[in-house]
Amino acid sequence: MSFQGLGAVVKRLLITIVFFSVAFANSLGQGVRVATAANLQSVIGALKADFKKRSGIAIEPIVGSSGKLVAQINNGAPFDVFLSADMDFPQALYKKGLATKAPVAYAFGKLVICSRQNIGFANWERDLLAPVVKKIVIANPDVAPYGVAAKEALQTQGIFDDVQSKLVFGESIAQVNTYITTGVVDVGFTSQALINDPANKAKLYWQAIDPKLYTPIEQGMILLNRASKNAGALKFYNYLQSADAKRIFAKYGYK
Amino acid sequence: MDLSPIWLTLKLAAITTLLLFLIGLPLAWWLSKGRSVFKIIIEALLTMPLVLPPSVLGFYLLLAFSPQQGVGKWLQEVFDIQLVFSFKGLVLASVIYSMPFMIGPIKSALQQLPSSLAQASYTLGKTQWQTFKSILLPNIKPSVLTALVLTFAHTLGEFGVVLMIGGNIPNVTRVASIAVYDSVERMDYASANAYSFILFALTFVMVVGVFIFNRYHAKSPLE
Repeated sequence: MSFQGLGAVVKRLLITIVFFSVAFANSLGQGVRVATAANLQSVIGALKADFKKRSGIAIEPIVGSSGKLVAQINNGAPFDVFLSADMDFPQALYKKGLATKAPVAYAFGKLVICSRQNIGFANWERDLLAPVVKKIVIANPDVAPYGVAAKEALQTQGIFDDVQSKLVFGESIAQVNTYITTGVVDVGFTSQALINDPANKAKLYWQAIDPKLYTPIEQGMILLNRASKNAGALKFYNYLQSADAKRIFAKYGYK
Repeated sequence: MDLSPIWLTLKLAAITTLLLFLIGLPLAWWLSKGRSVFKIIIEALLTMPLVLPPSVLGFYLLLAFSPQQGVGKWLQEVFDIQLVFSFKGLVLASVIYSMPFMIGPIKSALQQLPSSLAQASYTLGKTQWQTFKSILLPNIKPSVLTALVLTFAHTLGEFGVVLMIGGNIPNVTRVASIAVYDSVERMDYASANAYSFILFALTFVMVVGVFIFNRYHAKSPLE
């Protein structure tokens, strides 16, 4: 095994360097790069197709948890528009002078509880305490707004401490959805967008969480400084506030 | 500064190294004897974690361990063991993930021993096992040590698999590499830096130790 181990490490490093140079070379092109919160991963495809049809401009979504995207933007990631899952993250970036205008709300997310098993959910706050429910996934509340909402709902119902030992944290809503649809967890809290997502093939039992139990998930966006040189970015930003975009958002389970 | 991810990582690496020593030693010995196509395929499979992205392993483990179907369902129903989101699951994943680092150095060292060594021992009436234990093993001590240290260090660096099947649970699956990722996401760069530095220091000391130890024993530091 002489050098095999080291060789693989060096090779991986080289591949990484090449990959990043390619990524940066691409970023110099004139596409519109949209940093997209993970809960939007299904609706962004529909928005992208519709916007392309209307304007001829292709957007390039980069999907991740809001917190991770903010960290990348703070470190000079080449994005034009940032679609967050909340208002605080874009507000913080705007305060730092990384955006040209104050954040605008483009959608309200809905929190749902769901499972691949027919749990019923009529009294979900009691169902979750049952021994048959071993693992419950929520998004990491430190970085994902849907995780904050899920934690709030559990706290409002007074069962957060009781279920804490069952909690598993997805690093973004996308990982939460993976855990729910593969059935490795019994129950999960996620965005209603998962239920409305045509790409999801798993049969899910779900119920909307009473909006009174959590602070509304107001999702905000900002136009980042890099977009000032990119007319397409402003067009997409305006399009997201149009009736056409609102219709698509509604279809995917947003208010 | 929460040090629990560091302890968890060290615990995972220690258990993984011990298990792999017990599994890897006989496997390496078996692989070192003869080159049938079957053995080559087995060895290739065990070496795959070196070249495959850890996320591939993570993905298959996620499918394999899901309590909804197959092996995962059986484990859950018969033994009440759940391997995703548990420390046991991380141990199993690490054993697969670090396998090449245990088997590689030991196997190549065994193959480099003159065959007359073992043959002389057989001629004197020793069994295969006695020969391995008291003749072959003492002759490849440096390689065994290298394998142990590399396996330990490599497990400290595990990330992709844990990200897929861990679930980031404090004191259960939140190992140091995940804590770094998590801290960066929370923009807590001070913690990220502390975890990173501790990991760097630990692994650097180990690798340097191996290189110095092997200066006189091997043609290349990783043998």
